[in-house]
Amino acid sequence: MLDETVATILRSIYVSGAATLLAMVWSVPCSLLLATRGKSRVVEAVVESLVGVPTVLIGLLLYLLLSSSGPIYRLLGVRLLYTPQAMVLGQAVLVTPLLISTTYRLLRISVRNLWELAMSLGASRVQAALLVLRESVPGIVASGIMGFSRAIGELGVALMLGGNIRGYTRVVATAIAMDVAAGEFEEAIVLGGVLVLVVVLVAVCTKLLTRVYGD
Amino acid sequence: MTEVELVDIWFRYPNTAMFSLRGVSVTFRSGEFTVVRGPNGAGKTTLLKVASLIYRPSAGRVLVDGGDYWSLDEGRRLGKRREVVYVHERPVLIRGRVLDNVVYGLRLRGVGEGVAIETCREVMEELQLWELRNVDVRKLSAGQAQLVAVARALVLEPRLLYLDEPLAHLDEERRLLLLQALERARERGTGVVIASHQDLGGLGVDRVVMLSEGKVVRNLYLR
Repeated sequence: MLDETVATILRSIYVSGAATLLAMVWSVPCSLLLATRGKSRVVEAVVESLVGVPTVLIGLLLYLLLSSSGPIYRLLGVRLLYTPQAMVLGQAVLVTPLLISTTYRLLRISVRNLWELAMSLGASRVQAALLVLRESVPGIVASGIMGFSRAIGELGVALMLGGNIRGYTRVVATAIAMDVAAGEFEEAIVLGGVLVLVVVLVAVCTKLLTRVYGD
Repeated sequence: MTEVELVDIWFRYPNTAMFSLRGVSVTFRSGEFTVVRGPNGAGKTTLLKVASLIYRPSAGRVLVDGGDYWSLDEGRRLGKRREVVYVHERPVLIRGRVLDNVVYGLRLRGVGEGVAIETCREVMEELQLWELRNVDVRKLSAGQAQLVAVARALVLEPRLLYLDEPLAHLDEERRLLLLQALERARERGTGVVIASHQDLGGLGVDRVVMLSEGKVVRNLYLR
């Protein structure tokens, strides 16, 4: 029982961590692009409104894409539904608007000033971009922590794309939902506490690592 | 001699209808001490950023030693840009120690760390920053941060140095230190251009450029 619980917690960290890192691959360049361009208010508004899209809607859309009658299977022949990979993809899509929105807000002032600073001190465009990226690390990490917290706590995508298969796609959020449905409230509460603890621990460790890196 | 000549410059920020600079023509030269004055919103900061080759004007030409800067390829632009330095009104410092900031421009130019530190030492001692060299920039006062930004610019020995309200956060002692350092830079041939509301305390100003509503309304040579 304990082994299964530990495995579920580790799987949650793996799935949500991988999803956050995957989402950062496209979200960080998008945020930098938004922060360096002046005409971005419409895009900014659209991205911010997408932060609140219900997770079950994203789960449903991706379910239709990944199911055996969906375009991904038909075109590529890859069966992704009810796998951890599908959950990673779904959570990555889910946290993308949040990551872009928070990273952009953190960067939009500093990027302009840093770019000007680098230019004024005689940096090439590559050197200027490297400076901006280096100085943006704490902001990007903070956004990543927010994305991870959102991903690990969501239920809709994990349930619809993972299916809560014991020992394979069961994560803490789906395990809590299952415990509640079965009337196992004590276990659900313990798992809920573990979920909060994991999020806090990951945030603290990442911040400490960033500080070490920064100094 | 380095000369930056602005010819009929118009500048408008993105998403704004108003032009911040409207048909400005003015020349800045190395070895000259120029003060740019004008009320808030007159376009002083924008003028300095266009003249320091950071902002591309909406219309007009920026001539560096007679050549049109914005029609050069990126490699030649970089060479020209390394002759001029701009210092923000609110100092922009990078994460790390004071020394990391002051050597940054030299490191961009490929100078080795040891040589860069030795090169910085004189300027940092002049501005009483050497003792602070290992202090995290987050622990600096506003005045100290301003001096670090100026030191970072001075160690590059630019042909033209633009400073936006450099005295804003400084007490009397630091003001004097800074003005003396700028005077010495001018003696070495650097052109100094200061946008300031404040009295420069008997500094040998060569010229005053007055701006109002994005236009040069007076270009007065004092000597």
